[in-house]
Amino acid sequence: MGFDLNRAIRGRVWKFGDSVDTDSINPFYLYHTMEELKKHTLESFRPEFPKEVKPGDIIVAGRNFGCGSHRPGLVLREVGVAAIVVESASRLFLRNTIALPMPIFIAPGISQLVDDGETLELDYQAGVARNTATGAAVAIPKFPPMIEQIYACGGLPRLARQRYLAETRTGG
Amino acid sequence: MGQTIAEKILSRHNLAQAPLKAGDFIGARIDGAMCHYQFMDIHRLAVEAGFEEGFPRVWDTGRVYLLVDHHQPALAQSYADENVLIRKEARRLGIEHFHDAEPGIAHQMMPDYGYVRPGELVVGNDSHTIAYGALNAGSTGITRADMLYVLLFGELWFQVPKSIRIVLEGRQPGYPIAKDIILYLAGRYGDDFAQNMALEFTGSLVPQLSMDSRMCLSTHGVEVAAKLAMFPFDEKTRAYVEARTDKPYEPVAADPDAAYAKEIVVNVDEMPFVVAKPHQFGNVGPVDEVKGVEVDQAQIGSCSNGRFEDIEIAARMLKGRKVAKGVRFIISPSSQQVYLQCLKAGLIESLVESGAHVVTPGCGVCQPKVGYLSDGEVCITATTRNFKGRKGSLKAEIYLGGPLTVTAAAVAGRIVNPKEVFDGL
Ligand code: SF4
Repeated sequence: MGFDLNRAIRGRVWKFGDSVDTDSINPFYLYHTMEELKKHTLESFRPEFPKEVKPGDIIVAGRNFGCGSHRPGLVLREVGVAAIVVESASRLFLRNTIALPMPIFIAPGISQLVDDGETLELDYQAGVARNTATGAAVAIPKFPPMIEQIYACGGLPRLARQRYLAETRTGG
Repeated sequence: MGQTIAEKILSRHNLAQAPLKAGDFIGARIDGAMCHYQFMDIHRLAVEAGFEEGFPRVWDTGRVYLLVDHHQPALAQSYADENVLIRKEARRLGIEHFHDAEPGIAHQMMPDYGYVRPGELVVGNDSHTIAYGALNAGSTGITRADMLYVLLFGELWFQVPKSIRIVLEGRQPGYPIAKDIILYLAGRYGDDFAQNMALEFTGSLVPQLSMDSRMCLSTHGVEVAAKLAMFPFDEKTRAYVEARTDKPYEPVAADPDAAYAKEIVVNVDEMPFVVAKPHQFGNVGPVDEVKGVEVDQAQIGSCSNGRFEDIEIAARMLKGRKVAKGVRFIISPSSQQVYLQCLKAGLIESLVESGAHVVTPGCGVCQPKVGYLSDGEVCITATTRNFKGRKGSLKAEIYLGGPLTVTAAAVAGRIVNPKEVFDGL
């Protein structure tokens, strides 16, 4: 399942603070199946989140989102989160989310831009994140071509598959 | 302009064979890939990506280290079932370095077995893979999808990190302080002060630090969000590495005129004992700030603090004393080799005599697997993380401290400054 970075995203905002950890996003020590994880993701920060999150919603968070273990945020995509926009992301969570692929944008100033429940519009091509109610915006930086290619291929595993096929076809 | 250790090590592994500077995006050649108990998750990613039979190959059967760690012997039916599948895959792919019948934590077993050498670029699909920086290796955690790519091609994308010089000055006291140092740094500068950057440890304390202490500091690099956490190569590194492998290696050092994003100086002589309070690593204060908090459980173990010196200080301090009534003091060596070292030194006997529980090497004490906490219970632990729910209940409280602070709390039954419990520190 690919993701077109150039398609604008509009969604309701769920706000989180700093250093939201992957134990909370993906509490797999306690819940072993995706169905269970979906019922408990992020509950240690906001108990209502797993109950009320709707497909198309956007997560906005502070610094160091996804810190802790290397566990992926696949469960967030599974509950329908359309994008994650943060002041800064933990390096492994960022790599994981790009590899899925799922849109994740590092946009300093984002936590000041929107309140919980407001609507955010993300336009990667134009490089802006905009609060639709106030019109205020912050910049979304461009990814290097290497990362845009991962999005275009539908994630890192698919990119790997393409490369493998290309190399084995040419006998290389 | 000279290069930092990070710039140098990535330049050395740059597929494009050009010297690099911080900020560059590159494809890098990988020397070693550590996979652990979640290997089948990577296999499943490969299947989803279109490799119907799983991996068609690994790029180099001698450079993949598959250690089925975390929960050995299997702590749940699901692990037992998964382990059988991993064994089958390991055989099919011809992976030469495969351990699945040995309890322990991969991040200790990798150095134990001499699988990491100075100057190498080693990755692992576990965040604490950063640990091997203690051995002057460029090592870092990667994701499962990244590992899929590495297993096929022996290459991976990286952004060359900026570096922070951590200058540690002062004298090593007669007990380990690595945990206090990293907690102190996280408290003072934030739990992400090194986001996406490399740490380089230097200063007058460094030659005095044991390999165990260096590994504690490098392991915890990820708790301050670093990509690499590297120590310089010295005689201690040489002795440690050459006792475990006879493969050649080439250490890496920074140039004197390398450029750093920041320099942080810590004088450990002036550093108090510190703890991280619930529920974040950076929520740090001097131990005196929380003294008196009663504890139900105390623990020493994990990839940060399950090494010989962590267990030795507990045994030394407990000698002639007892664990407080009602406190569960759980100790888990980080590998069989560490366990054996502790046994031979007589540590285990004195720990058990004092009322500690010594449990199988592995990750159990760091997760809820061994020693769940109930609502309202308090735990002080020398392990890696204190996130809410890390030990089971979301309503339990976890404090992180060094092994000495944890032992003091186990004896007193409450959090206390170790100097109040033990004389002559
Ligand atoms: S000891 Fe804890 S942090 Fe370390 S590898 Fe095991 S589970 Fe992860």
